[in-house]
Amino acid sequence: MLRKLIFRNVKRSVSDYLVYMFTMTAVAAMMYAFNSLIFQDKVKNYMETENMLGAMIGLATVFVVLIVAWLINYMVRFMLEKRSTEFGIYLLLGMKKKIISRIYIRENLLLGAAAFLIGMFAGVLLEQVLLAILFSLMRMEYHLSFGLNKWTILMTVLCYEGCYLLAVFRCRRKFKKMNIHDLMNAGRQNEVIREKHETVKKLLLPFSVLFILAFWTVFRFLSDMVQIMLFLTGLVITIYLFYVGVSAWIICYVRKKKNGIYRGQNLFLLRQFASKVRTMQFTMGTLTALFTIALMGASIALMFTDYENVMLEKKFPFDVQIYSPDTDEDFAWARKILTESAGPEEIFQYSIYTDREAQVNFWMLTNLRSFGSIYRSPDGSLNREKAEKMLETEGIYCRYDTYMGLSDYNHLRRMLGYGEISLGEKEYAVQIKKRLEEEVQGIGNDLKIADASGKGYLTCAGIYADAFSQDGHNGGDYLIVVPDEVLVRMQPFYSELTADLKDSPPEGLAEKLYQAMPGGQREAKYYRDASSEGNNCLGSDNIISYTEDVLVREQTIRNVKYLLASIVIPLFYIGLVFVCVAMTVLSVQQLSDSAKYRFRYDVLSKLGLERSGINRLIRKQLTAYYLCPAFLAALISGKMILQVSEIFVRETGVPTLAGMYFAVSMALFFGIYLMYFLVTYIGFKQNVEGKQTVR
Amino acid sequence: MGNYIRVCDIEKYYGNGSNVTKAVDRVSFEVSQGEFVGVMGASGSGKTTLLNALATIDRVTAGHIFYEDTDITELSEEELSKFRKENLGFVFQEYNLLDTLTIEENIILALTLQDKRKKEIQEECERMLRLLDIEDIRDKFPYQVSGGQKQRCACARAMVNQPRLLLADEPTGALDSRSAQILLETFTRLNRMMKATILMVTHDAFSASYCGRILFLKDGKIFHELVRGERSRKEFLQEILDVLSLTGGEFSDAP
Repeated sequence: MLRKLIFRNVKRSVSDYLVYMFTMTAVAAMMYAFNSLIFQDKVKNYMETENMLGAMIGLATVFVVLIVAWLINYMVRFMLEKRSTEFGIYLLLGMKKKIISRIYIRENLLLGAAAFLIGMFAGVLLEQVLLAILFSLMRMEYHLSFGLNKWTILMTVLCYEGCYLLAVFRCRRKFKKMNIHDLMNAGRQNEVIREKHETVKKLLLPFSVLFILAFWTVFRFLSDMVQIMLFLTGLVITIYLFYVGVSAWIICYVRKKKNGIYRGQNLFLLRQFASKVRTMQFTMGTLTALFTIALMGASIALMFTDYENVMLEKKFPFDVQIYSPDTDEDFAWARKILTESAGPEEIFQYSIYTDREAQVNFWMLTNLRSFGSIYRSPDGSLNREKAEKMLETEGIYCRYDTYMGLSDYNHLRRMLGYGEISLGEKEYAVQIKKRLEEEVQGIGNDLKIADASGKGYLTCAGIYADAFSQDGHNGGDYLIVVPDEVLVRMQPFYSELTADLKDSPPEGLAEKLYQAMPGGQREAKYYRDASSEGNNCLGSDNIISYTEDVLVREQTIRNVKYLLASIVIPLFYIGLVFVCVAMTVLSVQQLSDSAKYRFRYDVLSKLGLERSGINRLIRKQLTAYYLCPAFLAALISGKMILQVSEIFVRETGVPTLAGMYFAVSMALFFGIYLMYFLVTYIGFKQNVEGKQTVR
Repeated sequence: MGNYIRVCDIEKYYGNGSNVTKAVDRVSFEVSQGEFVGVMGASGSGKTTLLNALATIDRVTAGHIFYEDTDITELSEEELSKFRKENLGFVFQEYNLLDTLTIEENIILALTLQDKRKKEIQEECERMLRLLDIEDIRDKFPYQVSGGQKQRCACARAMVNQPRLLLADEPTGALDSRSAQILLETFTRLNRMMKATILMVTHDAFSASYCGRILFLKDGKIFHELVRGERSRKEFLQEILDVLSLTGGEFSDAP
């Protein structure tokens, strides 16, 4: 009999909480699909790096499990409340509390299991989509292969079960404290509206808005962990206070009987909204936090995706590029491997020169925006000591300036398909990264580069910003191109070899080249000390910077893409799950309210509000209710995202408007939003229309 | 006067095929302007169905209901809500006040739905609050006041637009005897002072004794009618009780 009861109850719950079931199914599907990436051998084998993607997804899973556990816990408590009369009847019939709690928990587990099974099927499909995306990112061919991986299943089951255990854990205690009378009456209780000190609470709204504005300005100056923690705590408190303020504001407005409430159904709407926000303020705050995180996650993920799409090709323009700190290097080992295995169109070897001065480096350190005033003295001039120390230890730039001869430069330009340039005897040119082009326009006025004779100075003939592999190979950020004669006064700094290949390079070419490298260099590249020549550098790119002594374009791009994917994919994962969870809570709340408070609409209809008017009212009510947390989240995250994307655009040189990332993630977000909104609206309408009867 | 509200031969069936229940079976009667009519009957006698039909919330299977020259059985859904808005007021056993609104706001809401101006709304609301003696609880929420006060607020809300007909479904059902008495006296006052036409459904003889005329319903049919005329309320109550005892106590079918 109990089994029958459980089964019936589950059937009813499924239809009552369809949105919840849908979300749990989606969560199971996403869990399966994303977990499958961890155990994806095909991708893993291609990569030199450790299973970075797996680790990051694992990390994301922790957050996902926690938040899904919160959702389940919320729903379990919610359904318990809604069904209290039923449990009261069970108790009245003499059922033991232990058995009731067992029934209820079993019901929930059954519900979860059903969602899980459907989710697994959806997950297998979703996995294929995800893999297809990942493989196309890696430029690898992908063949559909449906199948269940036992490790993926195991991990998904564990995660899913973990959520349930966390959630149902505290449920038993609730049953112990049950009392028949309270249970039977719980359903009849209306929300008690407490209105106290509203005029004081009202002030919280402007305060919280002010605080958010203050957070915006403070945000860019955050530097250490303590500050960040304080910042976040303040933000969370502000979010909660905001809702107290909003409802108090509306209550005061209605109480003062301002003109607005006498128009149409405003009175009903405002009161309804205020009381809902009041009773739900904690949940609303939590939802806002979830939305904020989701928005930020999605925006950051979009930034990296954009970088992948736009910048990577330009970052590595040469098919093969090899660095050697040894100025006498003849690269015989590399030539041999390249000729044997890759079929090169052309191999070209050259040197980067230096005059053992650092005027260009100093100019960069004091003039580029990303360094700010770190290397300036208070009076604005160069802080020489600090700059020299930095050049010796940090490796953004080489210790001395980097030069290249005009003939080498033009040769490389030819290899890349750019036009050649010409320089007069007394002229030099600057080859710079695209993102810095604007910032170095004034460099020609400040540099004093001696000409071949050593008596006069060269003048700047132009600044070139074509993609030129300037993350440590052809200089860091910049190269000064001088007529070949000038090089006589300089000395070689380090050696480079580039190759143009006819076809795609064979797998593992980079590895082979590394193996063949003369001893010691591989180990040495990971650290710098003061005794080294100081002739390796990375350039000033921040956020994403990838340099290796041996770059094989195709493999490097794939590697970087894989690394980026391991940031992007988990961020999207978290964002999706968070939004779905938050939307479910909103939706379930509204739907159950529409059933519980159907009489409100009934009354309105008896007062003569026509059906279309009621529908309009429901739409307005849902919109206000849905938009409020989204609006606040957009307000909070918007500015932060804009600032972060400005920095991102500046530091990586992606030619995108900073606002785009926020705009696109908002669009994504509202897509999901709209879906849940429509489902809720339809359900709401059905609930209200369905049983309009007079008792 | 005679054709203020005319119910002509209405029928309402539930179910289909062989399993048809006749909730209301060929009922006809008239209500004059300013009349206070009671409808009595046991549960299942069809009195609520009848009320719903008059209230335009439920459609009849056959027959017509005229409010003066308007036949509401012919109106469309939208026309009906307009008709309700302009002509009808409701009072129910469960009060049906909106719990998120204060007593005063519940009354204001009914007025704002009529698209009235702010000043007008305030004046009329004031008047009703005074008339029904709920001025001092105007800023309270429904859960903070007694059942009687809630029901008077519901009355105020129903009457504030001066409807052609006030429909009351067991309005005293959930009230204690004192509150019930106050409410019924309020009805009488509304009936006299505002010339309100009231149709009240009840199965309580005491409540019914406040009416001017009572229709007795059994198995969907009117089987008796009592008119109070010039008698005192007590005499009328006795007469109602006599009718009830004639039919076997509280309308029971038992011999």
